[in-house]
Amino acid sequence: MDFAYILEALPDLMTGLKTTLIVSFLAIFLSCLIGLVGAVLRKSGIKPLQYAVTAYVEFIRGTPYLVQIFFIFYGLPSLGLRFSIFWSGVIALTAWASAFQIENFRAGLAAVGSGMHDASASLGLKRWQHSIFIILPLATRAALPSAMNTIVATVKNSAYLQAIGLVELTFVAVDRIAYDFRAIEMFASICVIYLICVFTISGLGYMVERRLSRPFGGR
Amino acid sequence: MTANEKKSEMADPEIAVELSGVDKWFSILQVLHDVNLTVRCGEKVVVCGPSGSGKSTMIRCINYLEKHQKGRIVVNGTELTDNQKVIDRVRQDVGMVFQNFNLYPHLTVLENCTLAPRWVKGVARKDAEALARAYLERVRIPDKADFYPSQLSGGQQQRAAIARSLCMSPKIMLFDEPTSALDPELVREVLDTMAQLASDGMTMVCVTHEMGFARQVADRVVFMDAGRIIETAPPEEFFRNPRESRTKAFLSQILH
Ligand SMILES: Nc1ncnc2c1ncn2[C@@H]1O[C@H](COP(=O)(O)OP(=O)(O)OP(=O)(O)O)[C@@H](O)[C@H]1O
Ligand SMILES: [Mg+2]
Repeated sequence: MDFAYILEALPDLMTGLKTTLIVSFLAIFLSCLIGLVGAVLRKSGIKPLQYAVTAYVEFIRGTPYLVQIFFIFYGLPSLGLRFSIFWSGVIALTAWASAFQIENFRAGLAAVGSGMHDASASLGLKRWQHSIFIILPLATRAALPSAMNTIVATVKNSAYLQAIGLVELTFVAVDRIAYDFRAIEMFASICVIYLICVFTISGLGYMVERRLSRPFGGR
Repeated sequence: MTANEKKSEMADPEIAVELSGVDKWFSILQVLHDVNLTVRCGEKVVVCGPSGSGKSTMIRCINYLEKHQKGRIVVNGTELTDNQKVIDRVRQDVGMVFQNFNLYPHLTVLENCTLAPRWVKGVARKDAEALARAYLERVRIPDKADFYPSQLSGGQQQRAAIARSLCMSPKIMLFDEPTSALDPELVREVLDTMAQLASDGMTMVCVTHEMGFARQVADRVVFMDAGRIIETAPPEEFFRNPRESRTKAFLSQILH
């Protein structure tokens, strides 16, 4: 392994990492939001909306992620929807992650028992008050472990976006390999970088989980 | 004031709850048949009957946690309709205590007690907390105010739930088997709290199989079976001399 070469490539890799992180954070933020809204819509009792959300989730889960990326980048322009590489990447990653976050939050909502509703209703709380003060914290807490898994997967899946030419971490590595043939150096480097990102996120998630579980009587 | 909100013409200030001819279905299953029950202000009514007889459903209709399909339910002079304003007003007057406590697990006992007063009645935080502490004192868990529900015993949780209800200053309290999720040694403390509440003059409708409590506290015992009220009588008479054969069969089962 040529560490001098890795050092030389590092500035390029960092540029790629920056794009990876920006795209990932945008997608994570948007997908959590969409996940929450989608999960609520799925329980809204409004049939057409429920079917639409279910169909969306099934479509994303039932088709290859790479095909979804190509669909957005190569397919949508022929329908008159043209986005830059960057925004195509954000949309594709968000679309993929949202489906899973919808499922995660749906499970979270389902974990809030009907007893909470009875309590709030009998105390006279309004629906929105019950949603914000009771359901949201309880559902978030129940959804957190699986939502964290999806968040980690979102960061890793940003690598697919090199297929449409987004200059993120994996793109930089593959690009350099095409010229310098230092495959082992490059792939080892980006694996380490991805691992650092993932461990950081998992660590943060674990801390949040601990914080949230403390009020539930954990020591 | 809309027609829906209008106080019932026959409103009698002495009557807290009146159910007349109430029918209730869960889709095709009829669970209440022509239920008639009048609870006067300050009265304590104990409801008993076999599992599935519709006791919970009946008392849940009183604060509209369940919607009845036929008949009239009048609470403190207000007839229940599906108008949200009507429902809100009735729920201000009616507190409810559940078998499984239904405390908010992510809030402390104090926060459980202050949430509704602050957000429903607009009571200032300090006042809500003072009120909550007074009621926690009354149910004898003043030292648990800053604990989370899971850090309390079952009996303490149920007393916290009672305090939470009382913080809304209800005129009527509904209890749905408040002690049946408790270990036997914890039942007493909850029943004592309820008896104290009864002696303070609270109007109470209480589903329970604690017959000692019924004897001690109830003005009337209501026996339900298969969605109907079968028999209503003062406790001495109810236990000593039940009229209906189904009541006798039920009593012989639970008293032995
Ligand atoms: N949400 C519901 N949907 C459908 N059926 C229900 C529902 N809740 C209750 N039932 C049915 O209504 C009937 C009466 O139930 P209810 O809970 O009122 O009985 P109960 O007298 O309180 O019984 P228990 O002593 O077991 O609590 C039962 O047959 C029950 O299966
Ligand atoms: Mg019941």
